[in-house]
Amino acid sequence: MYNQLIAEEALVNELKQKESQAKAFEVLVNTYKERLYWHIRRIVLDHDDTDDVLQNTFIKVYKNIDGFKGESKLYSWMYRIATNESLTFLKQKSRKMGVSDEELKNRMVENLQADVYFEGDEIQLKLQKALATLPDKQKLVFTMKYFQEMKYDGISEVLETSVGALKTSYHLAVKKIEAYLKED
Amino acid sequence: MKKDKQNGFNTPEGYFENFHERLMDKIKKEKAQTESIMPKSDGFGVPEGYFSGVTKKVLSKTVAENGKVIQLKSFRKFYYGAAAVAAVFLLIFGLNWKSDKPISFEDLANTEIDAYFERTEIDMSTYEIAELIPLENLELNDVLDKDIEAESILEYLDENVEDIEDLNLDYTNYE
Repeated sequence: MYNQLIAEEALVNELKQKESQAKAFEVLVNTYKERLYWHIRRIVLDHDDTDDVLQNTFIKVYKNIDGFKGESKLYSWMYRIATNESLTFLKQKSRKMGVSDEELKNRMVENLQADVYFEGDEIQLKLQKALATLPDKQKLVFTMKYFQEMKYDGISEVLETSVGALKTSYHLAVKKIEAYLKED
Repeated sequence: MKKDKQNGFNTPEGYFENFHERLMDKIKKEKAQTESIMPKSDGFGVPEGYFSGVTKKVLSKTVAENGKVIQLKSFRKFYYGAAAVAAVFLLIFGLNWKSDKPISFEDLANTEIDAYFERTEIDMSTYEIAELIPLENLELNDVLDKDIEAESILEYLDENVEDIEDLNLDYTNYE
């Protein structure tokens, strides 16, 4: 953990210096692209949309790295940008389509059935339907904990929410999903 | 059997001794139940080779984009040429169709303004927007399609304002 922090600090310094920036940014993209991809994918569901949001996230990181104060960890900061970008993307999408947020979520899940990059079975599809019924915060906490296996401390830094509140959100999410999956 | 000295309630023999084991057992069962219902993976896939390609795409839009500035110099003469042609066209069009007044806000089509608000994430509350708009030259009718009858206003105030003092009306104006 300590070594990881030192490596992160060195990377941030390199990113802030013109001569080492390009190389350091490539390292950054290669280190975090998969983790951020899956985080975004679980919010926006569609692969092409995820690709757009992932690229925008890295562009924002690149443009704002000078403003990164190091108050939180680099990865928490990037996760926060990715989360905000994903939620903003969905908001804009629903406005463009002229539908409510809930309606958009339902359509996104319906589209999964025809998605070539969704290999889920019936239960996994039902799980996505259950997730679509949750408030944003509960859904985020659930996917970060259950699928991404993040620790509460890490999630707390990303979502800027206390660990206690996150545990409550996770517990509520699990109960709701279980109840949904048990339904016929 | 243990007895609580203060209120006389009893607990079964050994209740507290194996409380921890029973609790852990219950948690284990609940976890197993959750795992049996909930799939461990969510079934999403990615196109083959996506992750090796995405780095290139990101770098071309960030690091490489900055580097491109140097390249522009070699095309500079073309830009001058293009600018010269554009200037000639502007001059011709400017002379032939000289407009009496410059383009103003009124010339924007409503649909364009609507589209701008549709596309742009303003991210401001109504209060923040209100702070930005000067009230001096703004009439109520500028923001409303139909005129409001004085009677409707009175009716609204009658229904929604509990204490007329809350309105902070300056009565001296009406005297």
